[in-house]
Formats: sequence, structure tokens, C-alpha cells
Amino acid sequence: MQYVGLDKQIRKNNFNSVLLLIAFPALLLGMGYALAYFLKDQHQMDPNELFLQSLPVVLGAVGVWFLIAWFGHSAFIRMATGSKTLDRVENKRVYNLVENICISQGMTMPKVYIIEDDSLNAFASGINARSYSVSLSRGIINKLDDDELEGVIAHEITHIKNRDVRLLIVSIIFVGIFAFLAEVAFRSLRHIGSGKKSKDSKGSGAIILIAIVITAVAYFISILLRFGISRKREFLADAGAAEITKKPYALANALRKISGDPLIEAVESRDVAQLFIDNPKPSAHKSASWDNMFATHPPIEKRIELLEQFM
Amino acid sequence: MPVLIVVGVLVLLVFWVISLYNGLVRLRNRRENAFADIDVQLRQRHDLVPQLLETVKGYASHEKELLLRVTEARTAAMAATTIDGKIAAEQQLSSALAGLKVQVEAYPDLKANQNFLQLQEELSDIENKLAAARRFFNAATTEYNNSVEAFPGNLIARNFGFKREVMFDLGEDTRKKMDEPPKIQF
Repeated sequence: MQYVGLDKQIRKNNFNSVLLLIAFPALLLGMGYALAYFLKDQHQMDPNELFLQSLPVVLGAVGVWFLIAWFGHSAFIRMATGSKTLDRVENKRVYNLVENICISQGMTMPKVYIIEDDSLNAFASGINARSYSVSLSRGIINKLDDDELEGVIAHEITHIKNRDVRLLIVSIIFVGIFAFLAEVAFRSLRHIGSGKKSKDSKGSGAIILIAIVITAVAYFISILLRFGISRKREFLADAGAAEITKKPYALANALRKISGDPLIEAVESRDVAQLFIDNPKPSAHKSASWDNMFATHPPIEKRIELLEQFM
Repeated sequence: MPVLIVVGVLVLLVFWVISLYNGLVRLRNRRENAFADIDVQLRQRHDLVPQLLETVKGYASHEKELLLRVTEARTAAMAATTIDGKIAAEQQLSSALAGLKVQVEAYPDLKANQNFLQLQEELSDIENKLAAARRFFNAATTEYNNSVEAFPGNLIARNFGFKREVMFDLGEDTRKKMDEPPKIQF
């Protein structure tokens, strides 16, 4: 018996990944053209020619960035969360739980990492069978019993199985590129502001405008991505986990325990935060609706409530 | 023009039949692949049984009948070649091992033996994995059986020799236990 909606989610995620892979370069080229168009007065050149000249440089730079991120993302994420490999000898209990769930789903076993942190949290990452991984904090391994931990692992395995992780990694890479561009734009803006007075005030005005446009677009896109990669996937992963383990109450208990202390100190970036089973960076002002609107995770009470309906 | 339409419909029909046939082949192969996972665990269990029996013999040598039953079941299981044959033989071995597990409760010395404890832990680990592999195999089998028996797959299945396949159950008494997800004991 398959959980209704999982197959659909897999197809949707695959489609969205491809869409992102196509839409992003297109968007970047559009911005490049806009840039060339605004700078044509300054360089006394035809915008088309300027655009075509800079095309290889832009595409090359983005391509290299993407390749580095694509092949290095697991190392980056491991650095950002401070996780290390968990061996079978070292922790047979956890290893067996992961392995048995994978056998029952007929999938290749992902790598298992451990984050040395007493808080309770976990995440999955990776883009293909070779790089899929499940990371668990020391706290979650020690403080949950076998059934609860099995539920958490099944939740992460479901994320891998229905390709949530791949879509998320792709989106994180793209948002990262835009964030970098915005950063560069702001830096150059400050540089112009503080540096020697430019004779061509019209040119620097254009650069300021473009910097603002790039930043706005980058931010807008990152918001769209966070909505596009819907928060529904957490509910689906919970349902998938309940389906795998047949113990929704165990996962509900686990979520209750996790919600008490999900803070992972090592996690700085919000991009990495969206990978976790529960937000590892709980905000100081919880009531703010702003936070709710841009939250990477649905409220945990709601998830527990839904899991309890499974029984 | 009407000829073209008829030809078009026929071509579509042929493609439809081909895709149904291929779907059945895919599902049958997946079931066989799933059995390969089970086979890995079964082989490990076969390797473990002699060591277990050797240890038990040292403490409970007069349980000859029981030990013999396990040995025979193991030999039969190793000799089986087809999937169906293996399933039947492994059910015998599982029930023989379950019997052994109950019987050794009467030997406190044996239960305190480090070697025995380790072997038993390994066996329970293998059996947990076996249970997991069996869940996947049974899910694949159900999907295949559904396609073979439901319309319109059944029309193709009948003509090309696809038939309903057996599930991997452990007999009536253990079925209830095995339907539950695996439990890890330490």
C-alpha cells in the first residue's frame, strides 16, 4: 500500500527541479541583458554586442559555481553543521535502524552522519544515490527511544525518497548565487559612494539602480522558492514515515521531544536550516506573523495533531 | 481516409498492448530483484546456524531431535533453487529456529554464555533485516499480482504466461508478529 500523494509529490519535485534548472539560467541571462542595456550609454556600445561579449564570462562563472556546489555541497553542509561520519561499529543501533528502513523500502542506504550537539534535530541532504545522507544530532540519538528514532529516520528517508532533498539543494545553490550577486552589487555601491567622486554621475546612478534591482530580484526569488518548495513536504514526510514504520504515535512523541530543544548552535544559515526536521534556529520573536509567513517549517503542534489522526 | 483511421487505431492498440506487457515484465523483475535482498539475509542466516548449533550442543546435547530438525531445515533451505521453493524451505527453518529459541530458555548456563549471546544477537539482527526485506518483497509481489489480475492487465497476463506469485509469509502463527515493523533488541 502506498501513501496517497507520495508518487505525485515525487513527480512534482522532479518537475520543479528541472524547471529550476531551466528557469534560473534564463533569468540570469535576462538580468545580464538588462544590465547591458542600462550600461550601453556608459560604454558607448550596442547593448546586444555588450551582452554577447559578456555572455561566455557570465555563463562560465555560473557554470563553475554550480559544478562546485553540485559536487561539493555535501562537504559544505557537513562543514556548516559540523557533522561527521557515523560508523556501524560505533553505533550499531542507529546504523541498523537506518539500514532496516532502507531494506524495507528497497532503496540504497544513505550515508549516516552525526552532529555533536546535545539538542534534538536531524536532516537529510544529497542529490543522488551517491550523496544522499541522513544526519542526526547526538542529542536525538541519546534522548529518543528506538521507535521514536525510527520515526525520525523514516521521516528523513521519505524526504530522500520523494526527492525533496534534491530540489532543496538545487534551490539553495541558486539562491546562493543570487545572494552573492546582491552582495557584490552592494559592495560596489558602497565603493562608489565612499571612493573618488565619479565624473560620470549618470553611470554610477545606473549602477546603483541595477544593484537595487538585482538585490530585489534575488530576494524575491528566494521568497518564491521558499513558497514553491512548499511546507507541505514536511506533512508528507511525516505521513510517509508513519506509513513506513506503522507507528505514527512514536513520531508524534519524537516531534514533541524535538520541539523542546531543536537549537543546533553550529547552524548559522537559514538556507541550511530548511533541511532540518524542525527549525534549528528558533527565532526570538515567536509571535511575529512575519516569521510565520517566511517560516521554513510548519508549526510542530499542527504536525503532531495530524500524526495523531493516523491512529 | 477511413482506412487511415483504422490503421491509426490499430497502431495505437499495438502500442498499448506493448506498454502493458512491458509494465508486467518490469513488475515481475522488481519482485525478483526484491528477492535478491532477502537472499542475502538468508545466506547469512545459513552461515550462522551451524555456529549456533555447535554452541547449543555444548550445553543441551540431549535436545537431539530439535537440533536435528534445525540442521535438516537448513540443508533443505540451502538446496532449494526456485523462489517458491526457497520460501517454503525457509519457513521450515524459521519455525525450527523459533522452537530452538523457546527451548534454550530452560538452560541458564547457555543463556549466560557470551558466545551464545553474541550469536543470538547476530541472528536477531539478521531476522530483523529479513523482516524488512520481506516487507519490500511482499509489497512488490502485491503490486505485481494486482497488475496480473486486474483488468486490462489480466488479458495480457493470461496470454503471455504471467501468473499470480506467492508472498513470503512465515506461516500463520508468526505472521502476526512479522507484520509489525522490526524491533531491535540489545
